[in-house]
Amino acid sequence: MNLVSALADSPRTILQTLADTILDITQCDSAGLSLLTRDGQTADVRGKRFFWPAIAGMWNPHAGGGTPRNFGPCGDVLDQNRTLLFRHFERRYPYLLPVIPAAEECLLVPFYVAGEAVGTIWAIMHCDRRQFDAEDDRVMASLGKFASSAYQALIHIEDLKVQVSQREKAEAEVRELARGLEAKIRRLVEANVVGIVMWNLEGSITGANDAFLRMVQYDREDLASGRVRWTDLTPAEWHDRDERARAELQATGIFQPFEKEYVRKDGGRVSVLLGGALFEGSGNEGVAFVIDLSDQKRAERALRRSEAFLAEGQHLSQTGSFSWRVATDEITWSEQLYRIYELEIGVPVTLELIRTRVHPEDVSLIEKMKMVDQAPDGGKDFEMQYRLVMPDHSIKYLHAVAHPSRDQDGQLEYIAVVQDVTARRLTEEARDKARSELAHVARVMSLGTLTASIAHELNQPLSGIVTNASTCMRMLATDPPNVDGARETARRTIRDARRAADVITRLRAIFSKKESTTESVDLNEAAREVIALSLSELERGGVILRREFAEDLPTVTGDRVQLQQVILNLLRNASDAMSGVDDRPRELVIRTERDEGDGVRLSVQDAGQGLDLQSMDQLFQPFYTTKGDGMGIGLSVSRSIIESHYGRLWAQANDGPGATFSFSVPCRPDGVPGNPGLDAIRSLTAAIALQVMGTL
Amino acid sequence: MTINRSLVSVVDDDESVRESLPDLLREFGFAVEAFASAEEFLGSVYVGQTKCLILDIAMPGMSGPDLQRELRTRKQAIPIVFITAQENATIRPRLLKEGAVECLVKPFSETALLTALNTALRVA
Repeated sequence: MNLVSALADSPRTILQTLADTILDITQCDSAGLSLLTRDGQTADVRGKRFFWPAIAGMWNPHAGGGTPRNFGPCGDVLDQNRTLLFRHFERRYPYLLPVIPAAEECLLVPFYVAGEAVGTIWAIMHCDRRQFDAEDDRVMASLGKFASSAYQALIHIEDLKVQVSQREKAEAEVRELARGLEAKIRRLVEANVVGIVMWNLEGSITGANDAFLRMVQYDREDLASGRVRWTDLTPAEWHDRDERARAELQATGIFQPFEKEYVRKDGGRVSVLLGGALFEGSGNEGVAFVIDLSDQKRAERALRRSEAFLAEGQHLSQTGSFSWRVATDEITWSEQLYRIYELEIGVPVTLELIRTRVHPEDVSLIEKMKMVDQAPDGGKDFEMQYRLVMPDHSIKYLHAVAHPSRDQDGQLEYIAVVQDVTARRLTEEARDKARSELAHVARVMSLGTLTASIAHELNQPLSGIVTNASTCMRMLATDPPNVDGARETARRTIRDARRAADVITRLRAIFSKKESTTESVDLNEAAREVIALSLSELERGGVILRREFAEDLPTVTGDRVQLQQVILNLLRNASDAMSGVDDRPRELVIRTERDEGDGVRLSVQDAGQGLDLQSMDQLFQPFYTTKGDGMGIGLSVSRSIIESHYGRLWAQANDGPGATFSFSVPCRPDGVPGNPGLDAIRSLTAAIALQVMGTL
Repeated sequence: MTINRSLVSVVDDDESVRESLPDLLREFGFAVEAFASAEEFLGSVYVGQTKCLILDIAMPGMSGPDLQRELRTRKQAIPIVFITAQENATIRPRLLKEGAVECLVKPFSETALLTALNTALRVA
């Protein structure tokens, strides 16, 4: 019982207590324990020696010594695995001779742990005062069992010590790590880059950084007083969203970032992005980061406003826009374009869908836009008019300007605006019809009037000539001939012939009056006006018009209207020349450029039938025409106009199909400009006069 | 000159016509009186005696067609041959419908004039 309480009270001294107990019970001279060494962790060290941890009695000074495992009394006990009694063992193991006093008799008992021998207990008599007997053997066997327990307890305590020290070391490392992490987190919190707030699920805010407080406009005092609760910061309409975040928190421990609003101290709202997590193991408290979205929201509003402006602008101007990647047929439409096509906004746009709306006669425009890709000088802006046939069979007229560009892969992409010009077009058509009828009537009338006027002036003297000549012949035919009368009528014939010549002279005089109507003319501008007038007519003829206008073109001096008549005439001729062309685009290029020297050149290039050498000479002759309904005076008049501007007008056959008509006029003519209009009429008059004379 | 010769009156504001045409008509064998205006003719003593009137269409003051109407108003049924320096496709049928014998466009040939005169005198 002594031993059991000693084991419980003081495990550290149990071995000494055990040795004392052996000494006390057996009344021997020395008692102790030998333990196989276990301090070395490697196999060759482990179990190599016996160690004496505790000795009572006369050998007490030898405590801490020991014997070799395989060469000593303890080793014999373990080898034979039984209790042994030695007499004078120093005689068998001489190395024990110095150990004094010498052992007269020694009783050694092995003890075990989990069936393995780990040590011995022993009792020694140094004299023959008594001899060990069977009772000693029994007592020692019993004490050997206790030694086993004590040994195990000690080993366990040692193991615990090791474990405790290892755990303490690990905990110290964790603490060190936590200190580092905490510093980093504190750095994040104090940097105030994002708002950080600590909270619990009841609605309290237990901590927050300045960034968060700035967002909601509260201060530290408000926070410390507990007045600031996140449930109060959240406007009513966001409570449902908060509830969802709370459910997410309880299910997963975190809530994914979402956008919401807070009510600031001043009652205003602030848009934020919020995300967070519960602290591990708390079940109630957590942390959230908060990002102020005010700037983004402002930008979004500005973007939406600008989009709204654009949409409203498109709506008001009846203008839509689209982009088209030709290679992949990716097409994107603005909302207004859907409205113009009367399609549901957002349906995927395909060429097939577009073809269901475009007028059959205009569908080829789509192919022409694709063909531009193959043209060597492709990539110029396209301007075109085309029609839609709506489901109710009504027609819409659209005016489109398409800007081709290349994406990073070099593929063709169009960005285009499309305007619904139906209303304007219908007005224009009515006006064009009226104008063309009027123009025709006016042309016929003015020419008719001119002819009639010239004819009247000439017919009076011609009539006199014929009558007098007739009279003269009759007078000479009588017998006798009336010579005096004949002479008189012949004289009158000559006089009337002179009168006829005077008429011509007078007409020339009338038309040669100099009336200067010259001004500075920007040929680009003048051509643009003509194109605007002719565009619908050209489109009707299936003509694709391309402008290649030189920038910074100097102005020329001349009569703007007359020059525009020449441009108009060239455009019409080019368009007419392509009316029979079906196997290639009816492409018309109007080009302006600086000419050599101090001049400006305008060219109109068609892809029509072209010119043959024979007709080249006659082109500019009055009344020469290749058209069934033409007057044949356009080019003649045009050349007169250009020549009166000290310029020249010429024609060339293209390398490919068609012809190019060009004129060039100097920017600052040396001479005083004449009146090109009247000059043109003068030459026309002469031509008409010849025609009239030819009928006689 | 005999009194049997039919009187042809010429009304034209153009002097060269008044000068040349009467000579030719006299060569044909007619008696001729020439007047520079419709008013002058109406004021003369020859209105009743005129068997054929050669009348210019466009004249200052009263025009040829005006004179035609005036004569009809006065019940003077004189055959009229109009002459004009301006060919006008619309005016000729109208004048013929109004009773004119012919409408000659200057310059007209001797034959055309003679044919018209013969028609006029046959009508008369």
